[in-house]
Formats: sequence, structure tokens, C-alpha cells
Amino acid sequence: MIEVQNLTKSYGGITAIQSLNFKVNKGEVVGFLGPNGAGKSTTMKIITGFMAPTSGRATVGGYDVFENPIEVKKRIGYLPETPPVYGDMKVRDYLKYVAELKGVPKDRMAKNVERAIEKTSLGAVEKRLIQNLSKGFRQRVGIAQALVSEPEVLILDEPTVGLDPKQVAEIRDLIKELRGQHTIILSTHILPEVQATCERIIIIHRGQIVAQDSLANLTNLKAGQRRVQLKVRKAKAQLDQSLSSVNGVIGVQAGAGDQDWMIDADASEDMIERIASHVIQKGYGLLEITSAKADLEDVFLKLTYGSNQAATELEQGV
Amino acid sequence: MSKVMAIGKKEIKGFYLSPNFYVVCFLCAAIFSWVYPNVLNKFAMALQTAVYQPDMPKQQLNIHYQVFLPQLNILNLILIFVVPALTMRLFAEEKKLHTFDLLLTSPVTSAQIVAGKYLAALSAIFGLCFLSFLYPAATAVFAHLNWAPLIIAFLGIFIVGAVYAAMDIFASSLTESAVVAYVLAVIFNMAVWFVGIGVDVVDSPLARQIFEHISLNQHLMALVEGTIRTNSLIFLGSLIFLFCFLCERVVESSRWR
Repeated sequence: MIEVQNLTKSYGGITAIQSLNFKVNKGEVVGFLGPNGAGKSTTMKIITGFMAPTSGRATVGGYDVFENPIEVKKRIGYLPETPPVYGDMKVRDYLKYVAELKGVPKDRMAKNVERAIEKTSLGAVEKRLIQNLSKGFRQRVGIAQALVSEPEVLILDEPTVGLDPKQVAEIRDLIKELRGQHTIILSTHILPEVQATCERIIIIHRGQIVAQDSLANLTNLKAGQRRVQLKVRKAKAQLDQSLSSVNGVIGVQAGAGDQDWMIDADASEDMIERIASHVIQKGYGLLEITSAKADLEDVFLKLTYGSNQAATELEQGV
Repeated sequence: MSKVMAIGKKEIKGFYLSPNFYVVCFLCAAIFSWVYPNVLNKFAMALQTAVYQPDMPKQQLNIHYQVFLPQLNILNLILIFVVPALTMRLFAEEKKLHTFDLLLTSPVTSAQIVAGKYLAALSAIFGLCFLSFLYPAATAVFAHLNWAPLIIAFLGIFIVGAVYAAMDIFASSLTESAVVAYVLAVIFNMAVWFVGIGVDVVDSPLARQIFEHISLNQHLMALVEGTIRTNSLIFLGSLIFLFCFLCERVVESSRWR
């Protein structure tokens, strides 16, 4: 559905994105992850035809975004960083206006507006001026605006910014619900959001893709390794040395408190048993021991803020 | 076309359903209400004394020259400053509030965006011209008027307003700041009058003819006198087209800049 080839964009001397290549299939939900200024919004703006690339090309539904922007825009619903709402319009009138702009046929207009209002639970404020709404509601109006033309492709730039936790959960459910019928790209730097909604993740950093894979593959990057979380009663500084002597332990790091430890170990079946018996034998006072997968947060931090070495290691893992 | 109408309708509502437009209309009405009766009164007194002055020029006894022309001049002056205020938000504000993103990511062409907004600006100018037309029209209650030249004169000023609107939406498209758009637009509006000065400073007859042709004043005067000249209409029409086209180019350029 969406294909991006060697996409590069530079503003003056600054290169925002460099040679991006990725593909999004029909009905897929793809998460765009990256720290601030990584080039997420720029990429999205180019895909929507809002802005032209410096070089490379992007196609949506087979249409080039630069050569055939009107065809592309017919198929896209876009929520920019700042929701593009007019303060002096009422919510329902605004959605009707957007539907007209997007060329929704007259007979489907009322139905589409109704549906968008319902999906984003805007019913209570539909007759109010947008300028009097709170940030969260405006954000929802922005999402409703992207949905109102029932586009094949939805591009959401940080859709849950400014929403309260209940609304965030609602939007996530909405995105899950839309999965399959719409192709969705959403950008965010909130990791649980990606974990909750996306099938595939593209991590960009400094304008380049550092990883793109399914969630499951990304979080299991280091095959044959597992992470064990340990909590002991006695705070002992030498515990790490003592633990390192256990057969199969690769590394030991101090955890959040001085009783917590994180242990990287090999994936052999009796690993947890061995660590547990070691702790008990030495009399540290075992409180908790759990097996944890390397989570997305670790992957993300390693790929973006971590050392280059960690990043290349991970990439080789892919 | 339906998209042009959608944009136009939204902007027209933005004018006619906002208090700002009515404040402008009120202030214009206040100016007219002060000046028009005074001019009319002076004209009535002049008519009374005309009986004793048989050699008085005919023009001075014509209500079109003595009353309606000053009214149109005031309207023109008002338009020079008010049209920029009406048009400045059309593009500049959209850019500032990021609502321009919506237009640029909707399946509408730049020409449709400009056409929609231009039509809306025309409707607002029409409102102002109509307001001003009420004063001469009310005079018809107690004086005999020639409607045709009066209507043509107002059509003339409306077309001049349309030229301002074209230049001013172009000014608005150039910047994100409404204030800059306003100042730029006022300068554009005044510039088309200053071009006419060229007539007095050049010697070559050809250059003089050129200046005469591009001076808005010449064209407006003909219309105000009640004559429709096709070369005037073509000149004013091409000015409107030129600036709408430039504006369309600026909007389009944001796609590839």
C-alpha cells in the first residue's frame, strides 16, 4: 500500500531524513518510533503529499505522492502534530467541511460525520466551538477529521498526545478496531502505545532507519539469552561478584533499588533454579525472582540513545 | 467546483458570521452617515444658488459628480485599508494555526483553494459596496436618479475592490504573520494609485500612453462616469487574474519547497 524508496529530505543544510526504505502492506498497523527530531513527522508529511522529498520517491496505493498528489490525498487521512482545527467552527460543522474537502459524496456525508463523532466520542461537544474545547478534545477532533472520509490509509502523528489515560485507551482500542480495514502508520515516542497497537515497528534515529521488524522479533533480539530480575532482602554490594560465579550468568547489573538486581544469563532451562539456589545458599534472603524478556524500551534506548556498538550488535541480530 | 464552493462557503461564513465584519461595516456606515448627508446638503444649496449663476459649469449641477463621486472616493479609500484587514487572515492565519496542513493534504488543487478564498473575499467586498450603495439608493426617495450610471459606477468600485482582493490574498499567501500581510497589502493597494503619477513625469507620448493605461484611476473614472469600456474590463480582469495566479503559485510552491 505504501512504499518508500531512498527517501531523503534536507532543509537547507540539515538532513532531516536520509535514504529511508520501507514498505507497508494493506491493512497493516505500523508504528514509527524515534526520539524527538528523528524525522518521523517529516517522513509522514512527505507520504501525505504535504511536502516534496529532496530525492527518492514514495507511493501510496501505486500513486507517486509527487506526480499524482490528488489521487494520493483522496486515499489518506492525516492527523498532523498540531490538529488542524478552526477555532471559530463548531465540531460538527468542521467535520462536515473536512468531508466536503475530501470529496465525500453527499449521500454518505451525514453518515460519515456521525460515525467519526461516534468513534471519537465527541457527541457531547459536537455543537461547541472548537476554540472552547480542551486540548484533549481538540486532539480527538483532529482524529475524527482524519477518519471522516473513511480513507484507506491513516497517518497519525502522535495521536494520543494531550489525552488522559482513559482517552488514550479509547484511541488505542479505536486503532485496533480499524486494523485490517485501514492501513495505519502512527508515530509516537510512547512505547506502550506501540506495544499495544502495532504489528510492526520502524525505529528511526537521526533520519535513518535503525531497525524495522515485528514487535516479537524486536524484543527477542538476542537469541539464546534471557534476563532475570532478582530481589533480595539484604542489600549487599558484593552480590554481583558472587552471582557472576554462577555457571551461565553473563552479566549482573544493579537494579532500581539497592536490593534489586538484573541478571543477563543464557537461556538454559534450569538457569532460574541455579540462581535461586545460589542466593539461598549464600543467605542473601531471596524475595523475588522473575524471568523478563528484553522489552521494547531497552531495544529502543539501545538503538537511539545507547552506544553505537550496541546498535550495530542489535542490527546484526536482526 | 464543489470543493471551491466548500472552501468559499466556509470563508463566507467566517466573514458574515463573525462580529469583526460587522464592526467594520458599522464603522464604514458611521463614516458614510457623517459625510454623505453633508455632501448632499451642500449640493442642494448649490442647486438653489445656481438659478442666479447661469454660467455655472453643468458638472456642478449633476448629482452624480457632486454627491455620488465623493461617496465612491470615500468608499475607495475605505477599501484600500479594509480589504487587507478582511483578506489578511485567509492564508496567513491558516499557516500560523497549521490549518493550512488540512487544505494541503486534502484532494484539492491550489487553484481551487485560491478560487474558494477569493470568492469569499469578493462576497465580503460586495457586502461593503452594497452598504455604501444604500445611501445613493435612499436619495432616490426625494430626487430623480439615473439608475444605470449609478449601478455601473458601483460595479466599477466593486471591480476595483476585486483587484485589491486579488493583490491582498497574494500578500497574505506570502507570510505567516497577519500583520505583515496587512501592511504589505495596503502598500500594494496604494501602489496601483501611485503608478498613475508616471503620466505627469514622462515626456515620450508612448510612455505616457502606457502609464495612462496601467493607472487604475483612468479605468475607474470611466466606469464611474457610467461608461463600460472593454479595455478597462480586460485590464482590471487581467490584474485580478495575474495576482490570483501568483497566489496560486505561492500555495503550490509549499508542496515542493
